[in-house]
Amino acid sequence: MINKDITVVNKLGLHARAAAKLVALASNFASEITLQKGGRKINGKSIMGVMMLAASQHTVVNIEINGEDEQQAMIEIENLFKNLFDEDE
Amino acid sequence: MALIVSGIGVSKGIAIGNVHLLNRGAPEVFERKLEDHEIDAEVERFQDAVDGAAKQLSGIRESIPEDAPKDVATFIDSHLLMAKDSMLSKVPIEIIREQQCNAEWALKQQRDKLEAVFEEMEDDYLRTRLNDIEHVINLIQQILKDQQFTMQMKLQPLKGSIIVADDLTPADTVVMQNQNIAGFITELGGPLSHTAILARSLGIPAVVGIQSARSLLQQDEPLILDGSSGMVLAGTNENTVKEYRQIQREQKEAQRKLSSLKNISAKTKDGQRISLQANIELAEDVGALKKSGADGVGLYRTEFLYIDREVPADEAEQLSAYKKIIRVLKGKPLTIRTLDLGGDKEFDPDFQGPLTQNPALGLRAIRRSLKDTELFKQQLRAILRSSASGPVRILLPMITSDNELVQSLSLIEQAKHELKSENKDFDENIPVGAMIEVPAAAISAHIFAKQLNFLSIGTNDLIQYTLAIDRIDDQVNYLYDPLHPAVLKLINITLQAGRRAEIPVAMCGEMAGDPRYTRLLLGLGLKEFSAHPSNLLEIKQIINKSKITELEKQTKKILATTVPSKIIPMVDALNA
Repeated sequence: MINKDITVVNKLGLHARAAAKLVALASNFASEITLQKGGRKINGKSIMGVMMLAASQHTVVNIEINGEDEQQAMIEIENLFKNLFDEDE
Repeated sequence: MALIVSGIGVSKGIAIGNVHLLNRGAPEVFERKLEDHEIDAEVERFQDAVDGAAKQLSGIRESIPEDAPKDVATFIDSHLLMAKDSMLSKVPIEIIREQQCNAEWALKQQRDKLEAVFEEMEDDYLRTRLNDIEHVINLIQQILKDQQFTMQMKLQPLKGSIIVADDLTPADTVVMQNQNIAGFITELGGPLSHTAILARSLGIPAVVGIQSARSLLQQDEPLILDGSSGMVLAGTNENTVKEYRQIQREQKEAQRKLSSLKNISAKTKDGQRISLQANIELAEDVGALKKSGADGVGLYRTEFLYIDREVPADEAEQLSAYKKIIRVLKGKPLTIRTLDLGGDKEFDPDFQGPLTQNPALGLRAIRRSLKDTELFKQQLRAILRSSASGPVRILLPMITSDNELVQSLSLIEQAKHELKSENKDFDENIPVGAMIEVPAAAISAHIFAKQLNFLSIGTNDLIQYTLAIDRIDDQVNYLYDPLHPAVLKLINITLQAGRRAEIPVAMCGEMAGDPRYTRLLLGLGLKEFSAHPSNLLEIKQIINKSKITELEKQTKKILATTVPSKIIPMVDALNA
């Protein structure tokens, strides 16, 4: 199991479209993926869960991945955050 | 009788058509208790409705034309994921079983629970994303009620009508786009709502934020809508309709002509290539930049990295912001203006100082950067590092004296030195330029030009400082005059200094983006215009119809004129 703090850098935060991209990516992996912010812990493969995290710009989300492909999953998820979910800002 | 209502124009253009009212929203839901033997059937009914909603959304997803903006597909993808999410597809089933209630009631309870969570969110934007979830929930509710709104819409011929609704879902917009709908009016939403974003990308005129539009307007009544001003006209006579049809034709024709210029370069009739660059700041401008056919970015304002946020962006975040624009530009140059903080734009309480009467004359722009060299150098490092990914120029704001220039150049050298010792890549020959926006700078332009690779005239401040006019002050703003002989002289001096030093001189103020002044500036010898992307094609159209040799003679006469009132007709004559 690995976990890492990742900062939300895109301007709009984890809104519906960004959440959709995260969930689509997370669903490609066999590992269990959970996101935690404050007291709330959610399944990274559930779009509603991700939206309900209410992660706005500059908040830090702890990502925990557990499973055979956890390393690759972490790299790709981190890249998605870093690339602002392919948004313009 | 004519009725005029106004809302927020979010997608420009004129639409003329008949009203088509969409009355929907969440159907009213009542609770019904179930007998034990009814429960399995009710669960199945709910599952069918969820499957139906997913199927509808997938169908819409497939019918998106290939050339539609990518956002449209992602909107629908997110709704599809929601329909399949256990919070919507499974939790209501548990509620049906536990409470022995009907599917509609179970879904409503889950909806209320979700709403409570969203209402507590602090971030405004994320909080309103409950709308996305509600759209999906309403879709399921409607299928449960056999009110398949989207299907119903497909059956009705909507060609040429103006849709009036509370709000539109992305799915609605996709279904509608193939039906040649004339325009949209919604009661909810602002410039950044789904309806607005999608209407703009589909090129359909739209006005949002007209409260109770559905009670003000009647089914099938003829309507005129102006998506630029946000005005909606009902009950008009034939003459008015004719007038607007004419305007509509003219706008379409002008737009068609302008967009045909996108891939043609700006070149005067006598063969002078003119560089047309974009001023950008916000994310919206990037979209406009792509459509503008710009030769590069002449002014990238970076204040957004510092103000209106919790902490200023660090070097890594700045670098990623710059690289993003570099990618969009595909090899065309990006001119990054270093931070223009201070005065009324400040994030650091240490620099707020006493609230002075004259923030424009206070500690701002390069002066502030030179007082906080750590912050300044961090930005210089980020800019330098971005230059490894594509052509980048550094633009220093509000340089007034040689001293400031020397200090800034030495900080750039220091930053380069640091990066070298850290083995970080950058462009050794990165061009450095200064904004000419203070009269002292224009008069000293020949001295600055020797030490720099380019100059850029910032007319907004240059006019304000030259004429001692605060443009936001209603009592004196009538004196703000780009054609004042002193302003024209300072522009001319700067252009001459650039020619003598053989370095390019750009102009990035509003004057450069105003088609009234294009020919005058061409005549003065300006070869690099930088303006908001939405102005560039119009400027290009004028440039491509102009002959500099013809303009030069007239502009010389204008420069020799000392009476401001005589200059306006002379400039008009240039444009004739």
